[in-house]
Amino acid sequence: MTDSSQRYLVGIDVGGTFTDILCLDIENQSLLSAKTPSLPGKQWEGVLNALGELGIAPGDIRAFVHGTTIATNALLERKGAKTAMITTEGFRDTLEIGRTRRLIGGLFDIKFVRPKPLVDRPLRIEVPERTAADGEVLNEIADYDFGPLADRLKGEGVEAVAIGFVNAYANDKTERDAAAALGALMDGVPVCHSTDVVAEQGEFHRFSTCVLNAYLTPVVIKYLETLAGELEDKGVKAPVNIMGSNGGAMTLPQAAKFAAGTFLSGPVGGVGGAVRICEMADVQDCITFDMGGTSTDVALIYQRTPRISHDNQIDAYPLQVPQLDIHTIGAGGGSIAWVQEDGTLEVGPQSAGALPGPACYGRGGTEPTISDANLVLGRLPTERTLSGGLQLDKAASEAAFTSLAEKLGGGDIVPLADGVLRMAVAKMAGAVREVSVHRGFDPRDFALLGFGGAGPMHVFLVAEELAVPQVIVPRYPGHLSALGQLLADQRLDSVRAWGGKLSALDPADIKDPANEMKSEASKTLSDAGFGPDKQTHTFTVDMRYVGQSYTLAVPLDENASDWDAVRDAFAQRHTETFGHADANNDAEIVNIRLVSLGIVDKPTLAFNSGDGKDLIVVERKVWFGDDWTDCPIYNRDRMEAGFELVGPAIIEEAGGTSIVPPGWKITVLDAGSLDCRNPQVST
Amino acid sequence: MNRLIQLELIRESLVAVVNEIRANIIHSSYAAIIYEGHDFSCALMSADGRQVAQGLADHPIHIFAVPYSTREVVKAFKDDIHEGDLFLHNDPYTGGTHLNDVLLLHPVFHDGKLALFAAMRCHWNDVGGMTPGSLSGRVKEIYQEGIRITPTRICEKGVMNQAVLDALFNNMRGPEERIGDFNAMLGTGRKAEEHLQRLFQRFGGDGLLDGVEALIDRSERQMRSRISECPDGDYYAEGYIESDGSNPEPLVVRLKLTVEGDSINADFTGTSAQTNGPTNCGPAMAFNAVGTIVKAFLDPKTPINNGSFNPISVTAPEKSFINARETAPCGGMAEVKFLIDSVVAAAMGQVVPEMSVGDLKGGANHIHIAGPRDDGGTYIHYEWPAGGTGASAGVDGSNAVRSYNEGDFNSIQSVEMVESQYPLRVERCEIRTGACGDGANRGGFGLRRELRVLDETAMLSVLSEKNVIPPYGVAGGSNGAANRFVVERDGEVIQPSDVPGKVSGFALGTGDIVREETAGGGGYGDPLMRDPQMVADDVALEYLTADQAETRYGVVLGSDGSVDVAATASKRDALAGARETVTLEIANEDDIEGPRRRIAIPSKLAGNLNISEGDLVELRGKAVAPLRGWARLSDGSDAVISIGPAGMRLLNADPGDAIEIRAVQAAPAGVLS
Repeated sequence: MTDSSQRYLVGIDVGGTFTDILCLDIENQSLLSAKTPSLPGKQWEGVLNALGELGIAPGDIRAFVHGTTIATNALLERKGAKTAMITTEGFRDTLEIGRTRRLIGGLFDIKFVRPKPLVDRPLRIEVPERTAADGEVLNEIADYDFGPLADRLKGEGVEAVAIGFVNAYANDKTERDAAAALGALMDGVPVCHSTDVVAEQGEFHRFSTCVLNAYLTPVVIKYLETLAGELEDKGVKAPVNIMGSNGGAMTLPQAAKFAAGTFLSGPVGGVGGAVRICEMADVQDCITFDMGGTSTDVALIYQRTPRISHDNQIDAYPLQVPQLDIHTIGAGGGSIAWVQEDGTLEVGPQSAGALPGPACYGRGGTEPTISDANLVLGRLPTERTLSGGLQLDKAASEAAFTSLAEKLGGGDIVPLADGVLRMAVAKMAGAVREVSVHRGFDPRDFALLGFGGAGPMHVFLVAEELAVPQVIVPRYPGHLSALGQLLADQRLDSVRAWGGKLSALDPADIKDPANEMKSEASKTLSDAGFGPDKQTHTFTVDMRYVGQSYTLAVPLDENASDWDAVRDAFAQRHTETFGHADANNDAEIVNIRLVSLGIVDKPTLAFNSGDGKDLIVVERKVWFGDDWTDCPIYNRDRMEAGFELVGPAIIEEAGGTSIVPPGWKITVLDAGSLDCRNPQVST
Repeated sequence: MNRLIQLELIRESLVAVVNEIRANIIHSSYAAIIYEGHDFSCALMSADGRQVAQGLADHPIHIFAVPYSTREVVKAFKDDIHEGDLFLHNDPYTGGTHLNDVLLLHPVFHDGKLALFAAMRCHWNDVGGMTPGSLSGRVKEIYQEGIRITPTRICEKGVMNQAVLDALFNNMRGPEERIGDFNAMLGTGRKAEEHLQRLFQRFGGDGLLDGVEALIDRSERQMRSRISECPDGDYYAEGYIESDGSNPEPLVVRLKLTVEGDSINADFTGTSAQTNGPTNCGPAMAFNAVGTIVKAFLDPKTPINNGSFNPISVTAPEKSFINARETAPCGGMAEVKFLIDSVVAAAMGQVVPEMSVGDLKGGANHIHIAGPRDDGGTYIHYEWPAGGTGASAGVDGSNAVRSYNEGDFNSIQSVEMVESQYPLRVERCEIRTGACGDGANRGGFGLRRELRVLDETAMLSVLSEKNVIPPYGVAGGSNGAANRFVVERDGEVIQPSDVPGKVSGFALGTGDIVREETAGGGGYGDPLMRDPQMVADDVALEYLTADQAETRYGVVLGSDGSVDVAATASKRDALAGARETVTLEIANEDDIEGPRRRIAIPSKLAGNLNISEGDLVELRGKAVAPLRGWARLSDGSDAVISIGPAGMRLLNADPGDAIEIRAVQAAPAGVLS
């Protein structure tokens, strides 16, 4: 039941540097925002501070969605739970051996050290159990006495247990039996088994995913319980949801069971926000360009749908859960330019972070960063403070670049700063190619959507580098992630290993497993408050030709009476993706997948408040690649819908600065976004 | 300044092209060995056949041979290369690896002039020949290994030479899959061309090609400066191929590596002649090995292009087994290439002692289990299990993983994939504990994998090395356990071949278990100098037993697993005291019998070492790697050993030096079962 006084939808995005909060007032469609410093180790406190900063009555919040980096940080810092892995006899080392790949570089590196598995050998424990590839249980576990094992695990202070058995994808009876038996003896220590997290073939990837999930579960639960408790104390009555890596929101109980599904909780909000911007700006396909202080996140949105990837890797650990296909590179405003041993110039991945920050922040940083390059080139203001009250120190930036130039044998710092900027842009363009060209898309067919603190400053250069003709800069670009969060639908992904050769499969047989999957998902969504009219369920099947290994997803009508549609759709996708179809070969189904959404109402956002007066704040000289150019600085808050301008121009607003190179044509859309076209590139 | 930045942009763009075409191969190929095993590599070559760029996942074994192949194509076709031409090649004698690795060269033109080649070398599952998969330990000549493609224009100005293609594919098993992979390579070449044309547009033809030259030049200057920092001199090493599969004698690789100023020459004079078994390789591979190892030792980070290798020259006797000619089979080229790697690493360890590294697991460890399919065809399960990597100063080796000289491939298939596709059950796949090369830093552990045969019949073939002569330790470190591939039948271990590691078509029956035990990496430094706590940790983590800690490291643990300091000190003293030391004297000439180095061992010493005539021993001089030889028992009780001049050089020792001698065992005591 929603209380009519509950008028606020709140999205909170915790970044490396800032915690960003955005609040939509449903009654008058207005937005409120605030930014407070993130507090490492105490993310929830930053969230409370941000909420306090906003100054709304906590009881008036209707929904609260949060993007957190808690899982990612716990893994990067190896601060997850002490985890045990229970597995089939003969396979305690699967986690360590993997498929013998290094997975993280190492060519020519004599001193390469393989990352340690998350579970040490003594806590990888074998039990007498075996299931065959066809699902037949060769060795039951139901009568096994787990008592001594449970005592040992508790005695060793184990905080989470992962169970992974060989061939559980074909039949997980023994896994479920073991999880039930052990779970009952572990005094509340979370126990998860592999098919509960991912039900696909491939023991290493499944075990790895299950262990990541177990390793992170206690951390995520503790964080969420603390946060929920603190929010309740503050009077927040709305449920606290967090963003899942699949781009949908999850309830706390869901997240507590599926911690491995929250790795991308941070960056997915921006992608969701981008979809909403596409809808409002009438754009079909875009590539998101979310640039912050330390990193840039890039994702491809095709037909207003973000791409999902199922085979992921965090560090050297495979993670086989559906995630938005977001590519992250270590290049942000704080990335440092430096000279390598062999005298070559490099940018990043080291970052000055928030402290000391770029030299121009005047907080003790002396290394030249991307932000310093921007300042040297006149692309950032020195005459006024930035939002947040920061006064930039141009002399410090110039000093940092002078010292860099000396290491390279002297020379003018302006072309050097320009070069550093272009090198960073080349890296970022590489990231865009990674999500487009590598996936079979031409980036020139997409609009680039620039947001995040540093996105609008660099997105035009990236577009020029890639010959992309269109750029979109949303209103409040620094808050788009939080916007995506507060408008996120709930999303459940289910997968079940089921199938065989089409020639030997009866279409009627798919109905039972499909209906089971659907009713489970439907119940979960109902429990979270989504009635039948607010749910959608979409099936696909993973398919390949017999003998192949890579699969393609194909839409499934679970009630169809034959396989014709599936077979044709597969042949078509195969042709599109790989350039040919094999009409002579039988195709097979490997998995059934179900995406279930709990739909959140999407309000229309009125983003243009300007009156069209006093648009130009000031003029200054800005370096655009080859020379200093007089460039007007605009105040975006004053712009009306339909306003047009031609670059060069700098457009400032709270939380974002768009730097428009000469020649670009900008139109302010009704929905507030800047629609930017480069007439020098043919569409 | 701007030029420098332009150069970085060109470098990143070229590597991006390679990475992009790699992705294209993976996603569009048809054979599992390519899309799952990633047994392929891509690179860009200059118009005259110099390497311009490769990616970090690409395998040096493929790539460093491509320039040789490309130069052969350029030599064969000279000015007769046109837009729309395509070239195919796999001939080991003109720069190929083994026949399965097929290279497609896609020339890229700018302004009507040949500018670059895109190169894709993919392992084709079968290229004809005697056995399915084309690789066999029992071949006698290359014709049994499949169809040989010397530089061949398969497409002329856009027109495919269908007759040639038919002749090729009609001589391969499973031609549909081969054609699928060929098409994937064709499409990938077109993609590479598109990307490169975009770069020409962006940087200008001259801009891009000048940039390429500048990058090659920079890598060359970098490598030359690194070599200049090394002391001038001659450095020696030798190593053995255990068997070519049919003859009992080993084959020897002898190396004199000379550092002079800013260049390196590797002279392999004295290396065994080519053989009629599969353990040969063509002329590109010795250079390939030297380039790989020198790069790893001196300059691992600079972008990979031909410049790094310009300062390196190689002298390899023609018709030796490392520079073979018609009609020597080359199916086992990986075993040979990895042996050369290991010999060069021993020499480079003397040049740069701080980089010296325990030996590798051996070669590729090709395992094939094949049997009848229900539909009348044949299934072939192929895997090539990794071993432990070698230790180096301050760094223990890693367990069961690809080594620094290899691209990043999967090499064992997922248990669930194997069991769902083949009538096999994987009974275990685990760390081969205890089987490391001991040392102050120890080598990594290999793996133990057991596959049970479920059908009535199947055949086992193995092509591997270092089953008898184990990976060496360095700087006083012990050798890793040797590879071992055996069959377990009714609880008994049986040898599937009289030549360990070389098995051809061994008949398996229901319930038989194929057991793969892969080598541990060689150790670094004296095991008695290993931090006792690290040994205690290895015991706590169940990689070593308490007994192994005590007998091999002299570390005595209390009942709670902590180090007993006093007991450890006295145990270490006792172990050190029990080592055998001999005094060297110079012999007029080296004691060489066929390929083997013999070492005369006085009988009393032989008794102390517990060795018999013909057993393998090693001497530890100042050289980082040990000198190995086969014992020739002699009379006398003095602990004096005569060594010829070459042996002295290999040891880096002088007459009168007192040095340690050890028996070389295939595995530490108690590790074999």
